[in-house]
Amino acid sequence: MKRIRIRWAGWRTAVLTLLLPAAAGAQHLLVPMDEAQSDHLKAYGLTFATLRMGLKAEWLLNYRGGSFLLPDVPELRREAALDGVSVEPMDDAGLAAVRTLIQDSNMDAIPLERAPRIAVYTPKEAAPWDDAVTLVLKYAGIPYTAIYDDEVEHGDLSKYDWLHLHHEDFTGQFNKFYLTYQGAPWFVSMVQASQAEAQKYGFANVPALKKDVAERIRQFVVNGGFLFAMCGATETLDLALAAHGVDIAQPFSDGTPMDPDADAKLDWAHALAFRGAHLETSPYINSMSDIDGHQVNDPARRQPLGTFTLFQFSAKFDPVASMLVQDHRSVINDFYGVTTSFTRATLKPGDVVLGFEEGTPWVKYIHGDYGKGTWTYYGGHDPEDPEHAIGNPPTDLSLHRNSPGYRLILNNVLFPAAKKKKLKT
Amino acid sequence: MVARLTSPMLMLLAAAAVALAPATMRAQSDTSAFYQGMNLEGAGHFRDAAVAYRRALAQPRDRVNALLGLERAYARVGWTDSLLPTVDSLVRLYPGEAAFRGVQLRAYTMLGRAADARLAFESWARRMPGQPDAYRAYARLLLQQGKAAEADSIIRMGGARLGGTTSLAMELAQSQAALGQWTASTLTWRTAVAGNPGLDQAAAFALAPAPATARDSIRNVLLRFPPEAGARRTLSELEMVWGAPAAAWAALRDLPADSATVIAWLDFAQRAEAGEQWALARNARVAALRWRPEPGLSIQAATDALNAGDASTALALLPDSGLDSARVAAYVLPVRAQALAQSGKPGEAQALVRAYARFLSPGELAPLQEAVAFGWVRRGELDSARVALHAAGPGADSSAAAGWVALYEGNLAGARAMLKNSSEVSPQLAEALGMVTRVEADSATDIGAAFLLLARLDSSGAAAAFTAMAPRHGDVGSAMLALAARIDEARHADSLAVAAWSQVVNNFPKSPEAAGAELAWARYLGRTGRTADAVTHLEHLILTYPGSALVPQARRELELARSAIPGTGPGGGRP
Repeated sequence: MKRIRIRWAGWRTAVLTLLLPAAAGAQHLLVPMDEAQSDHLKAYGLTFATLRMGLKAEWLLNYRGGSFLLPDVPELRREAALDGVSVEPMDDAGLAAVRTLIQDSNMDAIPLERAPRIAVYTPKEAAPWDDAVTLVLKYAGIPYTAIYDDEVEHGDLSKYDWLHLHHEDFTGQFNKFYLTYQGAPWFVSMVQASQAEAQKYGFANVPALKKDVAERIRQFVVNGGFLFAMCGATETLDLALAAHGVDIAQPFSDGTPMDPDADAKLDWAHALAFRGAHLETSPYINSMSDIDGHQVNDPARRQPLGTFTLFQFSAKFDPVASMLVQDHRSVINDFYGVTTSFTRATLKPGDVVLGFEEGTPWVKYIHGDYGKGTWTYYGGHDPEDPEHAIGNPPTDLSLHRNSPGYRLILNNVLFPAAKKKKLKT
Repeated sequence: MVARLTSPMLMLLAAAAVALAPATMRAQSDTSAFYQGMNLEGAGHFRDAAVAYRRALAQPRDRVNALLGLERAYARVGWTDSLLPTVDSLVRLYPGEAAFRGVQLRAYTMLGRAADARLAFESWARRMPGQPDAYRAYARLLLQQGKAAEADSIIRMGGARLGGTTSLAMELAQSQAALGQWTASTLTWRTAVAGNPGLDQAAAFALAPAPATARDSIRNVLLRFPPEAGARRTLSELEMVWGAPAAAWAALRDLPADSATVIAWLDFAQRAEAGEQWALARNARVAALRWRPEPGLSIQAATDALNAGDASTALALLPDSGLDSARVAAYVLPVRAQALAQSGKPGEAQALVRAYARFLSPGELAPLQEAVAFGWVRRGELDSARVALHAAGPGADSSAAAGWVALYEGNLAGARAMLKNSSEVSPQLAEALGMVTRVEADSATDIGAAFLLLARLDSSGAAAAFTAMAPRHGDVGSAMLALAARIDEARHADSLAVAAWSQVVNNFPKSPEAAGAELAWARYLGRTGRTADAVTHLEHLILTYPGSALVPQARRELELARSAIPGTGPGGGRP
């Protein structure tokens, strides 16, 4: 093992000077992603940092939990040491043995070439701790840009490769929290800000603004963007898209009753993931539709949490789906969100189910192609806070360094970095 | 949910039942099926207890208690479903009996039969339209299940039907807290605890999870004029849970003094003592003492003052009269002797100990003589200290106290031998032993003098002495500098502490103290807003000492400094 010398001043220059010789030495750092890894989440950050430095990496699908192969350069060793990420130096002979194993097994090596430009759709005043994705991006040290309605309306989505949505209600009904939180300061503030934003762009109300934002997000995917959504954003984005020509909002959000025939008028061809879902027409029931299997916010309908199982794909034939399910655990504890799961009956035929709960009519984690891009939906709010409620303290990910549920989020962050290979199917 | 009753609780229940029963009935009751059930349950024979309780249901007098016993016994053997036919029959026969209704509701809830529980609740509420019992019981069960929104709707329904939520205040407050409506919940709790002083613990328990952003609002509501004892007790409990003991005392101290307030002050003093918040405990006991002057309370207040390092107040608080000599020797003398010794009057302390020596056993005398000896040490009179120790008996010459005196004299060999065998467990002892065992010489007057300055509470002089001698003692210099840095940091001499940490890190990079010094330095930089410099040191520590036990702490500090993880700031999160 090379000894690392730290210079107090100008160490960055020293590191950059050392980059080329070390890389030319054909030494490698294996970042194991099985139980040997001490911090799975920061391991993604280390891989992302590799790409940001202009170096190449490889994702060894199904090899030791979906390990990463990085060049052995001092800067990466330093980052690994600082972050507590386990790395194993590997010479060419060792790597050759690994490649042989990969060749002969349900494994593959996917080159990772370019750090994707990441945007997270989130209100300006939201703390990173409000959203599991920003939480884990901050923890892993992966940079992102927070955007919201202003940026979307200005057409800024084209500046990014990857877009994340979390618990935004794209039907413009504020997740129906009006029923319970109409007097809460955060809720009042959120409603006022949204109404001002709608007026600013000439929309009659918040539902109209959010429908337009949803459509621009759809166009982002059509044009080749990678969309990753969690929690309520999954269900409401599709509802907003399907409702492009019909009023599905309750009077408390737009001042008019929803179209009594709204269900029949929904245009599911315009939606990404779902079809044939039925809207919840009562303004007093905190549920949007029958897409969500768990219905956490309606006590009479709420389903208990179980576990979900990741589907195992062929790494060589289905590399995209394989990347999205790389994990050191195949069975993961479920967690609630405004939308927790997706009923099988409402999935489009082309949807790829990545994670499902055995013996239930719902699935947890789905993926699909749309236009030139892709979308991935992951139900629930926070993989390490299964019963997350308003006011709960934020999750400290340093206490969940090996979270299998959070790994699925980070799989999605790295997946756009993969060099596109011609699929064999 | 059925709580498990322990044997003592069962005995208490039985005793209470016996005490309340008319004397003429006791003989009969003692042999009744109900008491058999109690005995069998207490012995852990739950199935047999259930049989006895079922028999006892035939006795009208025992019916309610027998059903409650049956509920507990069935729950223990997992047969709650067997309770339903019985309780349903009883509810049909006695529809106005709230206890039966409550058991029925709990049974359905325990069995996960939510729809039946709802029907049972509605039936109960219809049968007793003006009573809050059904709403309270059902709302509590829903809250226990984490169904706060549903509980809230039940309470609001009850409020509408009963003409207000006054009788449902506790449940309303709990549901509001569970929903994150902290201000509303606090207002409701304030009303609830005003009418029922016993609820302050429940209020504090419900409000304690409030995120930091909501706490000022909670404080404002509970501090609102006029001051109410229940609200202030609640706030005091909360402040203790939130880690602000001074604020906890502030919430109580200006309450009008009366017997209930004194109890609150004394309760606070006990909690403060448990947390070693001696000055606050002293303040609370002194406040109580003004209302209730008692010798025992005075001694406790003086002990708190002494533990807080406030010897003069301790002396002033100790009672001068009202106790006989034996009691003075047992309770007053230890505090007074130590207080005199700490306040620079070891001669008076010595005289006092001598005067009461005949009331003391050797085991009681020795610590007092040691206290006197340390009093002499504080005055720098080591010979007198030795004399005082010698008076404690033959063993004292080789005691840990004698070891300390040896250290102060620079006799490192003697100090090593005697301190090593000490049963005392203290950071000071670990510090001293850690240093003297690393010095090869058997004597070093400069080390002794520096420790003596520390013992005489001359922290500035001690830190300067340790810093000055560090270059003369080779590798042990890092320990001396690290100690000097800790002393300087504690007395807020930050520039001197930084200088000492810097010397340890740069001049003794391979010493055992280097990682700790760098972590302390980084923490200081972080505290004073120099985050970038703190990050540099934390990174250097992690990279330079990867095997150090301090690396996990350094990594956490680094994550906090980089805002990679949430700090102790506001919580939040929309679902």
